[in-house]
Parts: sequence; C-alpha cells; structure tokens
Amino acid sequence: MKSSLKISLLVLFPILLMLASLALGSTGSLSPSALTMHIYNGIRNLFQEQTSPNMVETILWQVRLPRVLLTFLVGAALASSGGVLQAIFRNPIVDPFTLGISSGAAFGAALAMLIPVLSINLSAFFFGVCAVVLTYLVSYSKVRSSLVSMVLAGMIISGVFTALLTLLQYLSDPYKLQAIVQWTMGNLHTASWDKVKTAFLPIGIGLSILVFFRWKLNLLALGDHEALAVGVNPRLLKLLLVGVSTMITAAAVAAVGVISLFGLIVPHISRMIFGPSNSIAVWANISIGGSFLLLIDNFSRTVMPFEIPVGVFTMLIGAPIFIYLMRRNAINWNA
Amino acid sequence: MIKDVNIKNLSFSYGRDTVLKGVTTSFPAGKLSIILGRNGSGKSTLFNIIAGLEKRYTGEVLIGNVERKKLKTGAQDTTRLGFMTQFHQTTFPFKVYDVIMTGRASFSRFSPRDEDHDTVTEVLKRFALWHLRNKPYTDLSGGERQLVLLCRVLVQKPDILMLDEPTNHLDLHYQVAVLECLQQLVREGTTILCVMHDPNLAFMFGDAFYVMRGQELSSLQDLDSSAVKKLLEETYQLPLMGLDNQGKPLFVPQLKQQ
Repeated sequence: MKSSLKISLLVLFPILLMLASLALGSTGSLSPSALTMHIYNGIRNLFQEQTSPNMVETILWQVRLPRVLLTFLVGAALASSGGVLQAIFRNPIVDPFTLGISSGAAFGAALAMLIPVLSINLSAFFFGVCAVVLTYLVSYSKVRSSLVSMVLAGMIISGVFTALLTLLQYLSDPYKLQAIVQWTMGNLHTASWDKVKTAFLPIGIGLSILVFFRWKLNLLALGDHEALAVGVNPRLLKLLLVGVSTMITAAAVAAVGVISLFGLIVPHISRMIFGPSNSIAVWANISIGGSFLLLIDNFSRTVMPFEIPVGVFTMLIGAPIFIYLMRRNAINWNA
Repeated sequence: MIKDVNIKNLSFSYGRDTVLKGVTTSFPAGKLSIILGRNGSGKSTLFNIIAGLEKRYTGEVLIGNVERKKLKTGAQDTTRLGFMTQFHQTTFPFKVYDVIMTGRASFSRFSPRDEDHDTVTEVLKRFALWHLRNKPYTDLSGGERQLVLLCRVLVQKPDILMLDEPTNHLDLHYQVAVLECLQQLVREGTTILCVMHDPNLAFMFGDAFYVMRGQELSSLQDLDSSAVKKLLEETYQLPLMGLDNQGKPLFVPQLKQQ
C-alpha cells in the first residue's frame, strides 16, 4: 500500500542518510565498502579493546558519528516541537522560537561566555526555559488566555532578551563578541560525545512523550471547547506538551545554538507529505526534521573548503523550498 | 442513573449586566428539550453554564444529582455530557474520520483502540457519511460539517447531549435530517438539550419547550395554545397567527397592513 511505503521510507531514509553522512567529510569521503569495514571494526572494538584504531576510525567515531547523531537529534527536536506547538496553538505560523526560547537561550549563552563560571550549555537551557515561563506569565489571564496574546507576549519577551543580548555584545571584548556571534549562528561543528550525551536525555525523553500523546494532539488542535465538548479537560495535557516542547527546544539550542525557522518549515513539509493527522505527523517530524538538518549539515561541511555555520544554510536552502511549496499551495492548512 | 438536569435559583451576570435571574427549571431525562428566545436573551449563557464552560454563577446546576462544578470530565462512572457549540472552524484539514475519532479521546489514554475504530465506523455508516471518511473536514459543506461534528459528539456516547443552534446555517434538508437524528437518539435514551431559533421547527420535533425572556426561563409545559401564542408574541414582539401543522402548532408572523 502507498501509506505503508511512505512509513517504511520514514524509517529507512534517516538510517541510510546517517550512514552516507558518516562517509562524507572534509578529510575525504569513504566508499560504501570501506565504510562497512570501518563500522564493523568499530563495533568489534566496542566489545574487545585490543586493536588500536587507525586515523580514519578515530575521525569516524570521535568526530563524524557524534556530529551526525547530534545533528539528527537537534533537527528532530526542533521540528517536533514546532509541529506540536502549531497544533496546540492552532496556528501554522508558530515555531519553537515564537515563545522566546531562542533569544532567551542566546542571552544565556552570551552571559556564560562573559562570566566563565557558568556552563554555556546549562545557562542557555536555563534562560531559554525562563523566557517561555515569562511569556506564559505575561499572557496568562484568569478570564481567558488567547493565542494572539501568547504570541504577542512571546514577541515582547524575545525583544527584551535580544536587547539584553545586544547590551552584552556591546560590553564584551572583540574575541568574546566573535564567540557569541558564532554561537548564535548555529555551531554543529562543535559536536562532541559530551554534547550528544547531554542533549540525548532531555530530547530522547521529550520525543518519547510526544510520541505517546501524538493522537491527542488532534484533539488539542481542534481547540479547548471541542475537547471539553467530548469530556476531556485539555489544560493539563496542553501544559505537559508545551513544557516538553520547551524542554527539547531548549536542549537543542543549548547544544548547537540558534537554528531559526527550521521548526517552522519542517512541520509544514511533514503535513504536506503525510497529511495533518498528528498520529503520523509526529513521527514524520522526527524523521524528516532529523534527516533535513543532516542533509543541510552535509552540504555546509562539504560544499566549501571551510565550514559555514548551519544556521546560514538552513535559511538559504530552507527558504526556497518553503516558498516553492507555499506558492504551489501544497501546504496543509486553512487560516 | 438519573440523567436529567435540574436548575435551582441560577443567577449570572457579566459585571453589572444581569443575564440570568433566579432561573429554576428542570429538563426531563430521555426527552428532547428545546430552549427558545430572542438573540441576546441569555440562552447561550445558560447553555455555557450547563456545558461547564462558564463557572462564575450562583445557584445550583445539578446534572444527574451532581453539582456541575463537581462533575469530573473524562471519568467513566459519572454522567457523560457532550456538547456542540455553534459553527466551528478548524485550522488543519483533518480527515473526517480523524475529526470524529477525537470524540473518543476520553476513552483512550494514548492511541485509539479497535473499539474506538468500531464506534467511529458505526456512527459514520449510520449517518450515511462513510463515503466522506477520507475527505478533509475543511472541504465539506456547512450541512455535512454540522453532521460530522454531531457524530464527533455522539461517539462519546453521551448520556446528556447539548446543542447550540444545531440547525444554524443549514438548508431545509439538513435541518430536518439533524432534528430527525436527534429524535432517534432520544428514543434510544439520550437526554437532549437544544437551543433553537425557529419555534416551528422546534414544535415539530421537540418534546419539552422553554422560552428565555427577561432573564428568566419559562416552561411551556402546562400552557394551552392561546397562552403559548401570547407568550411567543410577547417574546418576539410580533403579532402571530396560530396554524395547525399536521397536529403540531405553527406560528407565523402576521403581515402588516400596507
């Protein structure tokens, strides 16, 4: 059947792409047979540590593999959280950064770069979550909290953190300024096993929760009244899923910096291919989000002799694709 | 289980605007009760209070002997209450099948089970909507959408069903189709509360009638036809003419002399 073919592609494509991405790199590409041999050696070395790995294997296991895994995790996290927030807020222009995560996290990272006591990762995570909590508090009212007031509050909180970031940049010396600017452009090239380990837990747990509740997202996407109409109080579920989305986005941003608009674009692509039902769209966002970011990263590390920050290429590649889909009216929403 | 709705001394106001003043009434179990009244008379407020959307009221609202504010949503052992508000616009073009399936959300914690699929299939076939199951909800006509939303509430298997102007925006065919379906549900034991604009359509299909005016709700239960006519004339502020419609009352406005 057609849909089962699509589903098997969802599983197969990321795996093949990950293998292909391992073979690519600035230190030379590998043939499929060489890659197979190196992977075989690598797995054998995991269990019996006697053969000293050669240089190619060191690059594969210590540089490329963590980068491939981290890229996939981050892509999956941003896309899934974008899809979930679009469903909950019933708004196709919402993305994980609408609620202020990115500017909060960027400010947190910059602060940590200026005050070396703080860990950049933790500080970015903390301020990203802070920004969302602030957005919530500002837009919360007892009578009714509307989607528009939430998005507006997000813009204001983003603005405040951006202003604070600018202030920090103004005050910092040129070297730190460069570090801050590079961080905010997305920095997958700093991937390491440490980063994979830190990011894996929150993103892994978060994505599992989203997968468990994926069908209920259809209910939330119809609105609060429509949930109450069939005997479900949506408030707790919404809070849980927005919290989870915030957590995985903050973890992704803390690991690799800001990759803007990725979480807006991918859910639209998923809906275009698999339809709007979240039963499958949640899986699709994980698979397509991870693969798409991996593709873009492969591009940015092989096209030029030097590395270009991934944030630049997501926009340069993502925007034309998105505009093409939008013009074709292939995008699945009504507003 | 008693599945009627009893209201005692219910009052509600928006700021200084009193909308409901000491409403006391009861809607019988297993009947189609219809609430009539002018625009802005407080019908929708009463609807929202009983549906549980509006909680800042004084007085008692008993759903099967349980106070509305204490009625738990989603619990299996209490009275199940489903409602359908006026015309609903969705952002995403979900398939008809998926929209109706969301009505089963209080039964399954995670993904729908076989039982849920069976219920949805049954309801789609019963309302002759099976051929639309894979169509995007947003592509349907107003009448089809209304039926789909009704199906969505019905798969919850509610003991009490509330509808706010279910025939709004519908052509005559679908008006009758929806109301006949409500009659059928009543025969199967559902208690239905329905807010309507058209008294004549109401008299053709309903069992018990109420009129909302002057912040109060009056029952037409014990009134004879001339008293009903007088009440409706006062409510709608129009001279009416009473006719007989296949044994049911029919009221039409009297034309002004040119």
